[in-house]
Amino acid sequence: MAKISFNNIKISAIVTTVGNKKVTIEDEASNYGYDEKMVKRLKKRMGFNSRYVVDNNNITTSDLCYQSAVDIFENTNIKKDEIEALLFVSQTPDYKAPSTAIILQDRLELSTDTIAYDINLGCSGFINGLFTAYSMINSGLTKVLLCVGDVASKFAHKNDKNLTPLMGDAGSAILIEKASGFNASFVLHSDGSGFKHLIIPSGGARQPVNEDSLKEKEYNDGIRRDIDMYMNGAEIFNFTIKVVPKMFDELFGFSNISQNEIDYFVLHQANKYILQNIAKRLDLTEDKLPMSTMTVYGNQNSASVPGTINGFLADDFKTKKLKTVFAGFGIGLSWGACVVDIENIYAPKIKLYKSTEN
Amino acid sequence: MKKEEFIALLEETIDTDELNGSMLLEEIDEYDSIAVLSLMSMYDELNIKVSPNDFKDLKTINDLIQLAENEIK
Repeated sequence: MAKISFNNIKISAIVTTVGNKKVTIEDEASNYGYDEKMVKRLKKRMGFNSRYVVDNNNITTSDLCYQSAVDIFENTNIKKDEIEALLFVSQTPDYKAPSTAIILQDRLELSTDTIAYDINLGCSGFINGLFTAYSMINSGLTKVLLCVGDVASKFAHKNDKNLTPLMGDAGSAILIEKASGFNASFVLHSDGSGFKHLIIPSGGARQPVNEDSLKEKEYNDGIRRDIDMYMNGAEIFNFTIKVVPKMFDELFGFSNISQNEIDYFVLHQANKYILQNIAKRLDLTEDKLPMSTMTVYGNQNSASVPGTINGFLADDFKTKKLKTVFAGFGIGLSWGACVVDIENIYAPKIKLYKSTEN
Repeated sequence: MKKEEFIALLEETIDTDELNGSMLLEEIDEYDSIAVLSLMSMYDELNIKVSPNDFKDLKTINDLIQLAENEIK
């Protein structure tokens, strides 16, 4: 069973960059065939409102992560040549091959002694990426740069009314390093029996791109192609309310920490409605379990936990000593949580992507 | 839980009022994909195991009551 504790490792910086174009559900209602009444209902029940996406189809996740990482090097004492590993967690890599992490190693001018590779995960990607970074430090490295995020606007069809109005573009950079007195515990799970509930069916080796996979097809939940992401929202919702509360019981039992000791529960921001349901089961309110990230920025996939910190909790993460729970759940299906000691992190407010073209 | 209480809970969950057992789901404006999520959450909180497939063939409010038959006295 994947339950692991670490000692003497800390997170020292978290920076998130989001797409620089803000769109609202009203702007896009006609793409989804939503009338005014439905827009109102979605805003009230699901928390739909606005999302930040890249304004240019050439901008990738690694561009957003690059600006986040550069901000860390410009504003902290961390030197580029101290980074021993770079992990890139995303479902929207720059290329099918090679790993985007390796391209980022060069672009960030990190040493060629750096370990660099990608991890293909979405909603649970930050937790699993953080776990991998902690494991690397535990194995003897001293500093690891974790880059997470997606440009989901590239994998969701503009007329998919289930998925697209949820999705925001974001790329975060997180610095993990050796430091005495900081502890963390993780629980991690996978269940591939649900892999078809959130999937891009075509484009891999199982179903290569062909003429048919490029055709726009009409479904109950809108229009999409086989090369676009599909989500069975009801199955994902059902999975989430079943596994997430149970995972917290497991995390607290295993780490010997009680729920009362936790300052913040920073969860993957799938949508407000799911988070309200989880909060209700844990008997928590929004001041402990933030749930507005998707309403403002959109669902940022693996960047949603750092995006929530930079978006809503930056001041507390910069100045306070905190015991924090992070959790992610979704595509895979994959879910995980950790409880982490936090103190004096470099955590600026969320940044908008700066276009490099003039 | 009494049947009337359960119907009141359905009304609150679906965000509508004046439901009765024989009403057709397809004729209830508020019974849409969001309502199904809310209902799954409601059954889960009552410890009644349901899956999205259970909602596919439902026709009436009575069918929703039927899913909770063990809870209703």
